[in-house]
Amino acid sequence: MCDARPAPSVDGMLDISSLSRSYDGTVVVDDVTFRVVPGRMTGFVGANGAGKTTTMRMILGVLAPSAGQVLWNGSPITTGQRRRFGYMPEERGLYPRMRITDQLVFLARLHGIDRAEADGRARELLDHFDLADRADDVLDTLSLGNQQRVQIAASLIHRPDALVLDEPFSGLDPVAVDAMASLLAKEAGDKPLLFSSHQLDLVERLCDDLVILSKGRVVAAGSVEELRGTGADRYRITLDGPGSDAAWIRGLRGIEVRDVDGGTALVDLAGTTASDLLAQVVAREPVAEFSRVRQPLSAIFREVNR
Amino acid sequence: MSTVTPARTDDRTSADDEVRGAWRVVAEREVTTRVREKSYVYSALFMVVGVVATVVLTSILGGRPTDYTVAVTDQASAAIVSSASDVVNRSDDGSTAEPREFTSTAAAEEAVRDGDVDAALVATGTGYEVVGDEEVDSTLSAALTAVGTSEALQANAERLGVDLDELQAGSTVSERLLDPAESDAGARQLAAYVFLILFYITAITFGMSIAQSVVQEKESRVVEILAAAVPIRAMLWGKIAGNTLLAFAQILLLAVAGIGALALTGETGLLSSLGPAVGMYVVFFVLGFVALAGLWAVAGSLASRQEDLQSTTMPGQVLLFAPYIIAFSAGAGVKTVVSMLPIMSAMLMPSRMAEGGVPVWQIVVAVVVNVVGAVLIVRLAARLYERTLMRTERKIGFGEALRLSE
Repeated sequence: MCDARPAPSVDGMLDISSLSRSYDGTVVVDDVTFRVVPGRMTGFVGANGAGKTTTMRMILGVLAPSAGQVLWNGSPITTGQRRRFGYMPEERGLYPRMRITDQLVFLARLHGIDRAEADGRARELLDHFDLADRADDVLDTLSLGNQQRVQIAASLIHRPDALVLDEPFSGLDPVAVDAMASLLAKEAGDKPLLFSSHQLDLVERLCDDLVILSKGRVVAAGSVEELRGTGADRYRITLDGPGSDAAWIRGLRGIEVRDVDGGTALVDLAGTTASDLLAQVVAREPVAEFSRVRQPLSAIFREVNR
Repeated sequence: MSTVTPARTDDRTSADDEVRGAWRVVAEREVTTRVREKSYVYSALFMVVGVVATVVLTSILGGRPTDYTVAVTDQASAAIVSSASDVVNRSDDGSTAEPREFTSTAAAEEAVRDGDVDAALVATGTGYEVVGDEEVDSTLSAALTAVGTSEALQANAERLGVDLDELQAGSTVSERLLDPAESDAGARQLAAYVFLILFYITAITFGMSIAQSVVQEKESRVVEILAAAVPIRAMLWGKIAGNTLLAFAQILLLAVAGIGALALTGETGLLSSLGPAVGMYVVFFVLGFVALAGLWAVAGSLASRQEDLQSTTMPGQVLLFAPYIIAFSAGAGVKTVVSMLPIMSAMLMPSRMAEGGVPVWQIVVAVVVNVVGAVLIVRLAARLYERTLMRTERKIGFGEALRLSE
């Protein structure tokens, strides 16, 4: 778990500490604790209604927690520090009838940036999204995809100290996802970045760290590598030769057989090593394939959500 | 009942600093967005034209000097009309009366009927007759009667060898006004109603604009980004400041247009008596508008869609419409009391002042009560606004909002 790690001295450590929130006595977020390490992309996953959005709104201070707190560099976060966060809410929204440059500049100025700087920054971001020629257009004349880009630009306009993005990739095509991901990686740099998503393959590809939420509680958190390590060492053995039957493998010691299908067996190591296992099998029958099965995140996700 | 409130109680002082900078940016957006709208520019122009037209029309219909023409058939009548011209001039500044000779009474009557002349002065067996078509202008009629009577008396006195002055001694009945300013009561009453109507229209226009701007942010969900960027109170201050500034500018523009029109039409008397009322009108307007602005913002934050505004703006609309009704229908006592209550005073006090005769203490009480009321209402509004702004899912009632916990 992340909080077992020693606290690094890097600036910009975001800690979520025992946050809870209930509505009408129903606990929506229950004692949620995790850390967003600067310079690492942290994915926030969980089924619908797991409490991701509620947690993010509490991080931003848009919603008051019933208990717990948010720490910035180890101290309770202040409004002034929160103001330098970048936020993309789950429910997208900008002014529909306002020109996109105007609204980006307006938002930047709300964050305390002066007009000239805000102007330049808006142009830079619109350039990046190939929206420079639409700079003076009203938002609702843009396609939904472009509106989404402006929304991301809005969360980046004030060069935030930390990024909290609720489902930033939803509704984007694969090319746009890649463009967005590379921009986020560049913009986040050595700052903490937390984003939620239900697209596990995407999270797996992009994230360094992962927090899995289920029914308001953190059920798993850590680096993607660590989390995959929590799954058992699983191997697939396929015997060589037509009509072979792998059922006899069940008799070997130090393993747990998950599944046998004809000449193929799926086994978890339970006391023995991979090479011992292979040696035992080869001693009896030729082997066509012996491979480690990497657990995809979706499997971990299903497991912790059981 | 879920309770959604912003978590901004942790560090009040730094939050207050944020409010200071951010409300200006919000106010600026309110102003620039509004002045770019064509409907805003047109409605302001329309109202200016309305005010100027009212002043000019009143001046034309009411106080403009008239040159009367009176049909006569003989020299004596013509002399009476010429003498009456001085009397007409005295009672209605700048007006004159001029005789026009006709050969017969029938011809003179024909001219009256056709409207070629304002009246005819015809000799009868017993004296004179002022002949009009449907009516005779009272000023003209009075002048002709007075001159005709005195000419006849003069002639009779000479014939009888009586000293006319002696005969008339003690018969003078003159008029003395205790409050001469009341002479333009009609114009002042009209001015009072114009104040009322302009206040009502301007307050409704900019009040609704606050409510719409708030609900638009809720509807488009941009409110969540704003709430993450600045304290919610900063948004409220910004909206109140921006729209008050716009409304103030409009009222000022109308006041200047009105005063300018009065000066141009030469209504200097009315101008000097209405001047203080116009000044106070602007002061009261700002106070009343600020107090009400909080309510409009809350009306917006209670709504979840534009359609909800019809019901959530009801309290604001009633507060604005009530003085309107009271001004036209209530007795003097009720009017006096209501003209010292917050918000409503903003409409009633200036219109009472335009009508004249308001004791100074009542004006002072109205100002003080309005300032205190504005502070209290805006503070309450800020709390309601903070509690309800982030609830975008459905409409909330005023009562429910009051019961919501922090």
